[in-house]
Amino acid sequence: MRVEDVLGAALDAAKRAGATYADARVVRRRDQHVATREDHVVEVSDDESYGVGVRVLVVVSGETPTQAWGFAASASVDEAAAARAAERAVAVARADAGKRKRPIVLAPVARYRESWATAAAVDPFEVPIGEKAALLQGAWADARAVKGAKYMDGETRAVLEEKTFASTEGSLVSQRILRVHATYAVTAVDDAGDSVSRQHELPPMQAGWEHVARSTLRRDARRIAEDALEKLRAPHVQPGKHDLVLLPSNLWLVIHESIGHSTELDRALGYEANFAGTSFATPDQIGKLEIASPALTFYADKTTPGGLATCGFDDDGEKTQKWNLVEKGKLAAFQTTRDQAAWIGEKRSRGCSYAEDWGSIPFQRMPNVSLAPSEKDVSVDDLIAGVDDGVLVSGDGSWSIDHQRYNFQFGGQTFHAIRNGKVAGPLRDVAYQSNTIEFWHACDAIGGARHFELHGTLVDGKGEPSQSNAVSHGCPPARFRGVRILDTKAKT
Amino acid sequence: MSARGFTIADRLLELAGKAHADASVSVRELRSGHVRFASSEITTAGEVANTETTLSVAFGARHASSTTNQTDAASLASLFARTADLAKIAPEDPEWLPPLGPQRYPRSPRAWDEATSALAPAGRAGIARAAIDASGALVAAGFVESHALEATLATSAGLRADHRATWARTTTTVRTPDGKGSGWAGAESTSAAEIDGGALARVAADRAERSRGATRLDPGRYTVVLEPAAVADLLSFLIDALDARAADQGRSFFSGKRVGETLFDPRVTLRSDPLSPDTPGCPWDGDGLSLRPRAWIDAGKLASLYSTRFWARRSGAAPTGTYATWHLTTTGGAADASALVSSVTRGLLVTRFWYTRWLDRKQLLVTGLTRDGVFLVENGRVGRPVQNFRFNDSPAKLLSRLVGATARTWRAPVGDGGVVRVPVLCCDDFEMSSVSDAV
Repeated sequence: MRVEDVLGAALDAAKRAGATYADARVVRRRDQHVATREDHVVEVSDDESYGVGVRVLVVVSGETPTQAWGFAASASVDEAAAARAAERAVAVARADAGKRKRPIVLAPVARYRESWATAAAVDPFEVPIGEKAALLQGAWADARAVKGAKYMDGETRAVLEEKTFASTEGSLVSQRILRVHATYAVTAVDDAGDSVSRQHELPPMQAGWEHVARSTLRRDARRIAEDALEKLRAPHVQPGKHDLVLLPSNLWLVIHESIGHSTELDRALGYEANFAGTSFATPDQIGKLEIASPALTFYADKTTPGGLATCGFDDDGEKTQKWNLVEKGKLAAFQTTRDQAAWIGEKRSRGCSYAEDWGSIPFQRMPNVSLAPSEKDVSVDDLIAGVDDGVLVSGDGSWSIDHQRYNFQFGGQTFHAIRNGKVAGPLRDVAYQSNTIEFWHACDAIGGARHFELHGTLVDGKGEPSQSNAVSHGCPPARFRGVRILDTKAKT
Repeated sequence: MSARGFTIADRLLELAGKAHADASVSVRELRSGHVRFASSEITTAGEVANTETTLSVAFGARHASSTTNQTDAASLASLFARTADLAKIAPEDPEWLPPLGPQRYPRSPRAWDEATSALAPAGRAGIARAAIDASGALVAAGFVESHALEATLATSAGLRADHRATWARTTTTVRTPDGKGSGWAGAESTSAAEIDGGALARVAADRAERSRGATRLDPGRYTVVLEPAAVADLLSFLIDALDARAADQGRSFFSGKRVGETLFDPRVTLRSDPLSPDTPGCPWDGDGLSLRPRAWIDAGKLASLYSTRFWARRSGAAPTGTYATWHLTTTGGAADASALVSSVTRGLLVTRFWYTRWLDRKQLLVTGLTRDGVFLVENGRVGRPVQNFRFNDSPAKLLSRLVGATARTWRAPVGDGGVVRVPVLCCDDFEMSSVSDAV
């Protein structure tokens, strides 16, 4: 049985049942997880899910004939099951007899018959479990040598996404995507029972195991444990307005929440109003809304090597692209899919359609969204040198933002006071709170390309039913003036 | 009972027996359907059926687990081979305990509804249509879902358990066309017939209309009256903290606190009872432990912390099992939310929270934002709408600074297959840290 035949059976059945358009995906996902606690392995798991999902557009009769989407999926991957799923998808679409205010119009797409794969040197699923466990156990052996380092939670993950897409417009695209991650967190506890944790900042990446093997994860263990102990003993921050220097390992998450999510077109037009929320940015403000200081440009990019959201083609069958979302501080564009492009008068989709697995409906998901570095060679030290009274933040901690992406509060992994242009010592229990537009206007300097780093997450939730998307964000370090800092411990 | 689930489990246990391995098999057959709507029209709809089989294999203290959603004989054989191979090369785990043997479980009443199991796409679309129609000229968005789950657990030591459950859930956010007002309502039940899309939309629309033109109020500490969705959101963090291991290791709010110690208002009780018709749930957990009714907070006193089998053995206690049903109640409750509001001189009525996240586990401190309707309460009456706030506060303090709660409790639409029932709750000195411009 060939996957093409299964997909062909689904598309044929959809057309026979009356679909005006159909696409189908056969998707295999594999997720391998190794978890350690101090010196021992507590979990080895290897989960696999395989099936075919069929999406159809059907003309339904209401007050005026209109088109509706339907979706159905089958865990059985054969021609008969795929055909039944297609017929069911048509029946699901026909249950919607309502009049549609925004007609569904698919932006044109070229016919592609191609394949695409992650550039990976070492298949993470071929790396022995024992080697992965030994990496984490070895890290604990070093960390425990630091007095006060009491616990370590470690994990490695390898995720495979193999999908073949076909549409009634003639495309047939196969993709093989690999993502890897490894990390650990050391918890230090003092004699009084106070405790803090410090997590390693190695980002997840679309890559083979070489991303982990070549990293400093193993040899950083002692330093991470020392960081935890230093944080445990550190003084509290003085709450109030201070300057901030944010390293890429912290800033990526602010970009994700405040720029990435606010420029999703479905969100901006109310399609996520019941769950993820709406946005402060709307299409009528393109070219006008000043989101950030004029020195800042944020771009979307589903082509950047290593990016977790990078692929050759999206789940509409559109080729992936790179474009500016915020150009020189002003809102420039949104993230779109084929059925959204016409809503804002665009002729082509930006290629942001994604479904997390065979049983999920494709919809608009975030591409990698990054902050372009300065053309000047500005370093972290240069940024720090311009601060009289501030805080340097590394790593991601607690994060929260409102449902229109204005008010946010972020923590971090490590915090250091900056006094008179120099790093002055550790702090603990720091969070910063701001408003998206105020915050990005408070940015007065960013680092250069040499200091640009890609960070990200394997799990970004959106939609109902909720789906997970892996996405990266690149940025240099950046400096912000007069941001409200909180001492979270002072809330007791 | 799911004969198919046991057929799959028995096939895998037979392979484990031949390999002289300990094994446990969990089979979850889930059928789900949904309709999504936004801008007052149905946007997407779908149906998915999936059978997930998770096999755990152990050779002594070397163990591994794998999951597949393929159910044919070859796939199951491959699942066993893959898992056994992983287990053989996995390092020994000193925390590993062999699978449980036969257990006795009572049946959970009212966990299954045949009509919900068979709900057709038109049934879900009907709930969505009713919500859209009831929101009139306002803009409705929402989600209608129904699920039927048949779960089976079997082990090489002879344990056999099965359970089936249905749940239906609908939430709707109704916004004013000018984007200046937003309201929300939601419901969840074993039975889809108990979900009234129109009634939910009318509640959400009323809140949207009344929340239009919200004015700014200074951040600070307020008496708050929290609707059930807001209470359930905060409570989930307290539930997360009830872990004996984290407490014993000095990593939790409950570290250094004793069972029997009064930590909360003496009117507060938090229980789990999957056998109660109010909170119907699975009577066994992932290990197959029988989940008897249990109090976590009893009249304000800490009554239990949950422990895994390993941690319980290490600390010489009995394992509690892991629950997915929770019921927060108070004694001397108000007749209804209006009676509760009438006791408030000045405070805020909060519809729900959003993006609530941990800030500090030792303090049980979280941050998040209000959403979809915040109203100023003055002299016992709900008055003008106010802008949303970010809060930084603790669910533990919520239960210790209690002013009052309703006697009635509601099933919150948590949507994860668990059941959480909570009252409308009023507490003092809730810290609103800053104002949010979001509507």
